[in-house]
Amino acid sequence: MAGGALFRAQCATCHGADGKGILSIDAPDLTLMWARDGVNDEYVFNVVRDGIPGSIMPPHGFGETEIWMLVAFMASLVEFGGDADFMGDAGNGRRLFAENCAECHRVGEKAGGVLGPLLTGITRRRAPDALVQSIREPSRRIERGFRPVAVETDVGESVTGVLKNEDAFSLQLVTEAQDLRAFRRDGMRQITRLGESLMPVFSEAELDAGELADLLAFLNANQ
Amino acid sequence: MRFAVRLLSGLVPLFAMTVFAQDGPTYEDILDGFGDPERWLTYSGDYSGRRHSPLTRITPENIDRLRPIWTFQTGTTTRGRGFETTPLVDDGVLYVTGSNNFAWAIDARSGRAFWSYRRNLPDDLTYGASAPVNRGFGMLGNTLFMVTLDAHLLAMDRRTGDILWDVQLADYRIGYAATLAPLVIDNKVIVGISGGEYATRGFIDAYAPVTGERLWRFNTIPGPGEPGSETWPDDPEVLARGGGGTWMNGSYDPELNLIYWGVGNPNPDYYGDLRPGDNLYSNSIVALDADRGELRWHYQFTPHDINDWDSNHMPVLVDTEWQGEPRKLVMMANRNGFFYVLNRTDGELLLGEPFTATTWAREIGPDGRPVILNDGSRGCLPDPWGSTNFMPPSYNPELELFYVTARETCATYVPEEPDYTPGQASFGGVVFIEPDGAGALRALDIHTGELRWEFTYPSPTFGGVMTTASGLVFAGDHEGNFMAFDAATGENLWHYQTGSRIWGAAATTFMLDGRQHVLIPSGTTLTAFALPD
Repeated sequence: MAGGALFRAQCATCHGADGKGILSIDAPDLTLMWARDGVNDEYVFNVVRDGIPGSIMPPHGFGETEIWMLVAFMASLVEFGGDADFMGDAGNGRRLFAENCAECHRVGEKAGGVLGPLLTGITRRRAPDALVQSIREPSRRIERGFRPVAVETDVGESVTGVLKNEDAFSLQLVTEAQDLRAFRRDGMRQITRLGESLMPVFSEAELDAGELADLLAFLNANQ
Repeated sequence: MRFAVRLLSGLVPLFAMTVFAQDGPTYEDILDGFGDPERWLTYSGDYSGRRHSPLTRITPENIDRLRPIWTFQTGTTTRGRGFETTPLVDDGVLYVTGSNNFAWAIDARSGRAFWSYRRNLPDDLTYGASAPVNRGFGMLGNTLFMVTLDAHLLAMDRRTGDILWDVQLADYRIGYAATLAPLVIDNKVIVGISGGEYATRGFIDAYAPVTGERLWRFNTIPGPGEPGSETWPDDPEVLARGGGGTWMNGSYDPELNLIYWGVGNPNPDYYGDLRPGDNLYSNSIVALDADRGELRWHYQFTPHDINDWDSNHMPVLVDTEWQGEPRKLVMMANRNGFFYVLNRTDGELLLGEPFTATTWAREIGPDGRPVILNDGSRGCLPDPWGSTNFMPPSYNPELELFYVTARETCATYVPEEPDYTPGQASFGGVVFIEPDGAGALRALDIHTGELRWEFTYPSPTFGGVMTTASGLVFAGDHEGNFMAFDAATGENLWHYQTGSRIWGAAATTFMLDGRQHVLIPSGTTLTAFALPD
C-alpha cells in the first residue's frame, strides 16, 4: 500500500484526511510538524512506530518499509517546505517591519507586539503566496487564537481584542492595548465576533511589490 | 480465595454477616438501586440507566455553596480522550478504574487510596492503544470486575486489588479491546467488546461471578444462515469481520429479565459496498434474555451505516404513561441525531425525532426506518463521533425530561475500499471534519422529542449527565466545567472549572456522614464535592 493510502486508512481518522489534525481530540496538525525544531524523518518514523504513551496515539506494527512510505507521504503534506528563494533586500525589510508590523508582531529576539502571531520561522511554515495573501487580505484566513472579538461590559466598558480562549462562562482576550484581560460572560452586555481581522490591510499603496519582497526576505532571515 | 468469594456471594448462612463486617453488596442490593443512599453499586446507580439519584440535600437553593473537598490524582492519562469512569461507592470506599487499566480503592472521606492496581499490558495493543480508557467496575460481594485493553475480564478482591481470576474475552491482536463497566446481575457478569474499527465480530458475554466460566455469548453479527444473515452478503468472511462492537455497557429490566445493549458500527466503517444490506445487528439496540443470551427483539437505528454512528449508548428504561396507557419504555438519544422511544417489551417504535440540526433525516417512516434526505451528497453530516455518544444521558421522572449532551458538527465522508491486515484498522475511507462545531446540554420532552431548554457550549462536548430528585442536572463540558442546572428551566446555577475536559464521564452522588457528596472524573483527577458542614 502506498503511503497516502496507508495514511488515509490508518492515520486520517485522528489527524484528518488532510493531515491538519482534529482539535477536540488533541490530534496535532501534521502539516506544521515538520517546521518544528528537531523534527526530521527519523523522529516521525519513531513516533509512528512507538506511539506517544499517555495519549491516544498508538504504536503501529507496520513494516519498516510501510512506515517510511508514511513518513514520505506526511512530508508531502507540508503546506510549504521552506525552500523558496527570497530575493528582496532584508535590510530594507527590517526597516519596513519596524514601521508597519512590529506594533503587533515579533520576529526573532526583537521587541514587538503580541496582538498578532510570532513570525519567527514563518517562511518555513507558510508559502510566500500565502504570506502575501495574509498581508494584502488579512481577514481571508484568521487563525484560531487571533480571531477578533468586541465585548461590552455591564458597566459600559468596550474592549476589542483577539480571542485566546473561551468556555461557557468566560472569555480570555489579548486586548488591542496588548493586555491579558478575561471577562465573565454574565458580566457582558454584548459579545461580538468580528469578521474583520484587527490587522490592517496593506494594499499596493501602503506596501508595493518590491517592499513586500523585502519584508519577506527579512522574515526569511529570521528563522 | 475463591472459597472466600463463594462464601460471600450469597450461598452463605447468615452467621457470615456477623463474621465479616464488610461482605459487600448482593444482587438484591444492586437490584435495590438507590435504596441505600450511601451506595452507588452499578454504573448508572441502578439498572435503569436513568442516572437519576433520589438524593435531595443539595438543592437549587443551596448549590452555590457546593465546594470541592478533595482531589485524587490518578497519575495516568489519555491525552485525546478522557477519564471516563463511574466510581462505585460502598461503605465509605470508592472503587475506581482509570485509563491504561489502572484502578484504585479510595477513602471517600479523605481521597486517600487503600490500594492501587495497574495491569501489565502488552506493548502491541490494537484498538486498546488508540482508546486506552475504562468506564468502571462491576461489583458483587467483595469481588470487583474489570475489563482490560487486551480484552480480558478480571475479578479482583476489593479489599486488596488482588486478581481472583482472569479470562480472555477475545484475541486483542486481531483488533479487540474492552473498556466498558461490567453489568452484574443475578449470578452473571455481562460484558461487551470493542474493536468495530477492525476486522472483528462483536459479542455480548455472560460470565459466572465466582469461577469466570462463560455462561453464554450473543454474537452481534449473525453466522451464515442464522437470522439476520440475510441482511449481509452471503459470504462467511464478510460476516466474520462485520464489526458490531458492544463497547458501552447496557441496562437491565429484572421483571422482564431482559438486558438492553447497544451495538456499534459495521466494518468497514465508511465503505459500504463490501456489505450491501442492512447489516444487522449493527447500529441497533438488542434485548437479550438474561438467562440464555437469546435475542428477544432488536431495533436498528441506522440501517447500513456508513458514518460510524455506533449505537453504543446507555439505554434508559422508564415506566410511564404513554398516550394514556402505562408502558414499559426504553429511550436512547442516538449518534445519528434522533431521540427514540421504544416499547421495551417488544421493541415497537413509539417515537423517533431529531434532537440536532442533522440533515441526514428528519423523520422516521411508518416502517420504522429513517427517511434519508442526505446521504452526504447534499451537504455535511454529523461527524463520526456523532450527534451524541456514549456519555451517559439522564432522565427526571417527575418532569419527564430526557437530558442529553448534543453535538453539532459538520463532516464530509470519503469512502475508500480498505485492505484487511490483522491487527490494523479498516475504516474504509476518510472524513473531513469542519473545525468549528458546537455542543449543548438539551432537555427533551420524552412524549414529543421537543426541545424544552438548552445550554450551549462553545465546542462539541463529550461530558455526561446526572440528575437528582431535588431538581438538579449535573453536566460536564469539553472546556472542563462541571456544572449544575435547574432541571425544569435550564438555568445554570453553579459551575466549577476542573482544569481538563470532562469526557465520557458523568457525575456520581451518595450520602456519607450525613452529607451529600458528588464526584466527577476529569483529566487525571477525581474530585469530590460537598456542602460545608
